[in-house]
Amino acid sequence: MDPTLIVLLASTAAAGLAALGPLPLLGRERTPTVAIGWANALAAGLMLGAAYLLMSAGRAYLPLEGAAGAALGIFFVWLTHLAAGTEELDLNRLDESSSVYGYRVMLVNALHSASEGVAIGAAMSVGVPFGIVLVVAIGVHNVPEATILCAVLRARGVRGGAAAALGVLTNVTQVLLAVVTFALLEAVPGLLPVTIGFAFGSLVYLVLFELLPECYRQAGRTTIALVTLVAMGIVVLLGGLAQ
Amino acid sequence: MSLLGRTFGVFLYGLGTALATGLGAIPFAFVRKISPQVVAVANAIAAGLMLGASFGLVAEGRGHGEWQTIGGAVLGVVFILLTQRFLSERDVAFGDFRGADARQMLLMVIVMTVHSFAEGVAVGVAFGGGQTLGAVITIAIAVHNVPEGVAISAVLRPRGVSVAKCAGWSIFSSLPQPLMAVPAFLFVEAFRPALPFGIGFAAGAMVFMVLDELLPEAYEEGRRGAVALLVSLTLIGMVLFQRYL
Repeated sequence: MDPTLIVLLASTAAAGLAALGPLPLLGRERTPTVAIGWANALAAGLMLGAAYLLMSAGRAYLPLEGAAGAALGIFFVWLTHLAAGTEELDLNRLDESSSVYGYRVMLVNALHSASEGVAIGAAMSVGVPFGIVLVVAIGVHNVPEATILCAVLRARGVRGGAAAALGVLTNVTQVLLAVVTFALLEAVPGLLPVTIGFAFGSLVYLVLFELLPECYRQAGRTTIALVTLVAMGIVVLLGGLAQ
Repeated sequence: MSLLGRTFGVFLYGLGTALATGLGAIPFAFVRKISPQVVAVANAIAAGLMLGASFGLVAEGRGHGEWQTIGGAVLGVVFILLTQRFLSERDVAFGDFRGADARQMLLMVIVMTVHSFAEGVAVGVAFGGGQTLGAVITIAIAVHNVPEGVAISAVLRPRGVSVAKCAGWSIFSSLPQPLMAVPAFLFVEAFRPALPFGIGFAAGAMVFMVLDELLPEAYEEGRRGAVALLVSLTLIGMVLFQRYL
């Protein structure tokens, strides 16, 4: 199969997993705050694991370029938040029914997915088995992320199928960036170290800026630490099996 | 050189790496004002250093054994959980300090001290593999120890511990290195299989300390953008540092 087609199919499948997001909310009138904390920690752990795998793959390449790329990745996420005016936005408000809030959270999610797309594209350039591991980690990560989005959207009356569809839609940037990144790296392989660094830096920064800050208040510290660690450990282990 | 002479040499190398840790306290000579914001910044720096060090450790440990590293990490987390429980049931004092601050400072010293055991084994096993390799790894570990001293001092100093005592506790936390290096050198074959466990243990304990203690406190006192930026930049710096040295 054409490798670009593999990237397209795999990243589409990862984005599609977001459709499972509303499932944990079915049959509940209110979303328990603890559940949002768990979802954040789960998403954070899977993403940290993915960042670790990118770092350990990047060790084989030029470290200075990787570090420059990582700084660029952090700068990119920081800049998008600044441009979107979302640097102080609480992403987990379940009682906020204004439509502006809903759109802003969706914008943040779409930008968040863009970095994940770069990560998938770069990992696929390293090798298809490695790329698949990253796709699995990020795809599974999309589920709790979509759960949180659906819980937020529910306050505005968006439910069921529509919420699931919006969860998938905010991940379209992931597919787009995965394919574009992969194609770019096929054409200019010399950009691989910088791109891996970019993906590593932006993933780490997203975890620390978007996922972890809220969740310590939503569930206890130790719960958050353990959920994050277990999710991270599973991804690290999965990465070892692929090598 | 006689075996005794070489063994003593390994001990001295290990002691040298421990003393290097004390250098980590130096930057904190300039920290005078003690405020919650300083604690947040220092916590974020310590978190980044420890996460970066753990990433490097896991990558190294997996070269020795995938499952052993993960198993060691699980044990490391359980160990810190039990230590936390033990400390929370008691009225602990750390120097002149009591209460929550004392507990956290003590936990930090414990985490960094147990993590040094694995590094000591690494020094000893490396010397068992030949003197040149040993010297290279010793210098590498000595240099790695400086940011570890920074991490410890970052937790102790903003809570009011003097710079000299920060250096003292930093060196203390690395004392297991000379102590473990000697038996690991003498019984390389017996210690080699334990290395990935020890490395995993160290990484698990440090990541748990970061996620359970340092980060939540940093978020409470500091702005999330500043915390995220500091942690991620320090993490990248640490990964780069380890890659070059």
